[in-house]
Amino acid sequence: MPERGDAIVRHVVTFGRVLREVGLEVGPGRTIDALRALDAVDLTRQEDVYFSLRQTLVSRHDELDLFDRAFLAWFLRAPVMPPARSSGVTQPAARAVAVPVDRLEEGADEQADGDPIELGASAHELLREKDFAEMTPEEFRRIRRLMQAIARLRPRRSSRRRQADPRGNLIDMRRLVRRSLRTGGEPLERAYRSRKEVPRKLVVLCDVSGSMDAYSRALLLFLHAVVGSGRGVEAFAFGTRLSRLTPDLATRDPETAIDRCTEAVVDWGAGTRIGASLKQFNDVYGRRALTRGAVVVIVSDGWERDDPDLVGREMARLARAAYAVVWVNPLKGNPEYQPLAGGMRAALPFVDRFLPGHNLRSLEELAAVLAGIERRHAA
Amino acid sequence: MTRRRADVRRSAGRGRGWSHRGPLLERGAGGVAAAGTEAATARGGTRGSRHRGYAASVSFRTIDELEAALRDADYLPDRGLSTALFLALALEKPLLLEGEAGVGKTEAAKSLATALGARLIRLQCYEGLDVAHAVYEWNYSRQLLHIRAAQEGTVSEDELFGAEFLIRRPLLEAIDSEEPVVLLIDEIDRADEEFEAFLLEVLSDFQITIPEIGTIRARRRPAVVLTSNRTRELHDALKRRALFHWIGHPSIEREIDIVRLRVPGIPERLAAEAAAFVRELRGLDLSKPPGVAETIDWAMALNALGRQEIDADVVQQTLGSVLKYREDIEAIRDETLQQLVDAAKAGSH
Repeated sequence: MPERGDAIVRHVVTFGRVLREVGLEVGPGRTIDALRALDAVDLTRQEDVYFSLRQTLVSRHDELDLFDRAFLAWFLRAPVMPPARSSGVTQPAARAVAVPVDRLEEGADEQADGDPIELGASAHELLREKDFAEMTPEEFRRIRRLMQAIARLRPRRSSRRRQADPRGNLIDMRRLVRRSLRTGGEPLERAYRSRKEVPRKLVVLCDVSGSMDAYSRALLLFLHAVVGSGRGVEAFAFGTRLSRLTPDLATRDPETAIDRCTEAVVDWGAGTRIGASLKQFNDVYGRRALTRGAVVVIVSDGWERDDPDLVGREMARLARAAYAVVWVNPLKGNPEYQPLAGGMRAALPFVDRFLPGHNLRSLEELAAVLAGIERRHAA
Repeated sequence: MTRRRADVRRSAGRGRGWSHRGPLLERGAGGVAAAGTEAATARGGTRGSRHRGYAASVSFRTIDELEAALRDADYLPDRGLSTALFLALALEKPLLLEGEAGVGKTEAAKSLATALGARLIRLQCYEGLDVAHAVYEWNYSRQLLHIRAAQEGTVSEDELFGAEFLIRRPLLEAIDSEEPVVLLIDEIDRADEEFEAFLLEVLSDFQITIPEIGTIRARRRPAVVLTSNRTRELHDALKRRALFHWIGHPSIEREIDIVRLRVPGIPERLAAEAAAFVRELRGLDLSKPPGVAETIDWAMALNALGRQEIDADVVQQTLGSVLKYREDIEAIRDETLQQLVDAAKAGSH
């Protein structure tokens, strides 16, 4: 018996290592759970062994595929098929391994960034107004700080959590009762609390198709800053289909983040299928209620290659679930611009705010709009 | 030198743990293993913790036993889910269930409670859920009345903040319960992250501190089932503490079985065709593909209409119990609907 037990322990420990290699986080705690689980089930039933290991070693739906392949290879010695990319949504798990390396570099980057920005006010002003399409990489580096500051102005919602606040508008019953002990049950001395404000969910969908090429780099930098502003932000890129960028943007260094996004987005600079991408978003993420109560920002020029009607339908679905929808169109920076593109026209009825996004000034405007946005359309 | 010594000692300690399997493989009330039985029974599954056994009044020695009990509770789990529920009991760990809406996450917890003969306590999460609604609250109006009623004669704070004035919410109720409990924390992903962090604390210690009263420890650890619709990722710490199971849509055979179990007296053919039709629907590109719950609702409707089988007309009339979005209902019309009905009939025989 002990030999058999040892063999199992060895198997599971090595299997844990295999899983770590493909990018799953398997700590010693999980390995111990797996061993305890195997001890509780009938080892002669392959199905029970499979589920026991899966339920103790995996904690995310998008890791199941990786686990299955590792299980097949390790326990069943079966030939392994190349990973099936069934849906258009990229799976973050496999890439997650690289994170610690970037974390190491953060310190260095921060020091370099810590230098005061050597820009006179007037130079700043010029950069503020300069069209992103005309900026040099050096200029992008200089506006990074400003972008971060803008990104921090997130829309907020009031939470149900409360804090003691003498100027608050909610009565603090617990303290009131305690104080009225002194006054024979008369609540003479009032205590107040107020609701805490927390950031509202923010979802940004960024068009990275060919027609947006000149702006996508700047907008990705902005997305990176927004994702770095705290929890509750989800970022996506789309061209002909949708890619989730949140995990890629979650590194501190903007250059690394952008490199990763470039890898993650397969159809960079290709055509635009806004309707199909929105549909994919609604189907996959909307169903998981990511949109509910969120401010959704779409960054696109509205050039739809396919059916503009689909854009309208999917915008309607999106707008029903979202708290508010903001459309940012860099072309709107041109005073001559008119929203004539079919996709843009179809989308506009469902857009709460329509803004330009061609320079830093317009991003500031966006941030101000986001900070004060209110639900306008009917629920 | 001393440092190296400490390292050696630590690794020796670990080696003991691995090879003897004793301290690592302790089990809950229900878990006697098929493998390594001698060692297990010799150790007798004692837990040196302050908790008195596990929540169940009934316990299950094998997955099959639990499966049979769930079946008696009118729930047909697949092997993966029974394994998950079994392990949650055997390892005394919370179980996190994820899956599309309508695959029976909540139902699984309810049936587990029935199977265990335990009380089900449910905490429905929502944005802004706070301690006052999840754990406890003081009954302020009663407290004020009490102070006034005492008139002369002073009321002490202790008296005022005693058990009598405490409103117990689900978490406190579950921890302080005398009877065995299954605690269902439903749609945890809807709660704020601050609340999730708090929950993590409760789930690791199974104790709640009320400043005015003190710390209340669980007499019996409740069996805990968490469900999530994945509107956001949960904290890693919470996931690390829990077993994880993803529930997919059931196989067609299982779904027919579920329908026949839940809709007593339904003609066999109707059950098969309804399940097959719903499966066809899931293969389409819908805003919300129907879950098992919808299949059951729909089968009930069809059965109530006295149908023996489905046809395009009756599907058209009753489609609202399967599809919940106008776009989806509009997408399934005329030829599409007839094709689906034909496919379902072909697939169910």
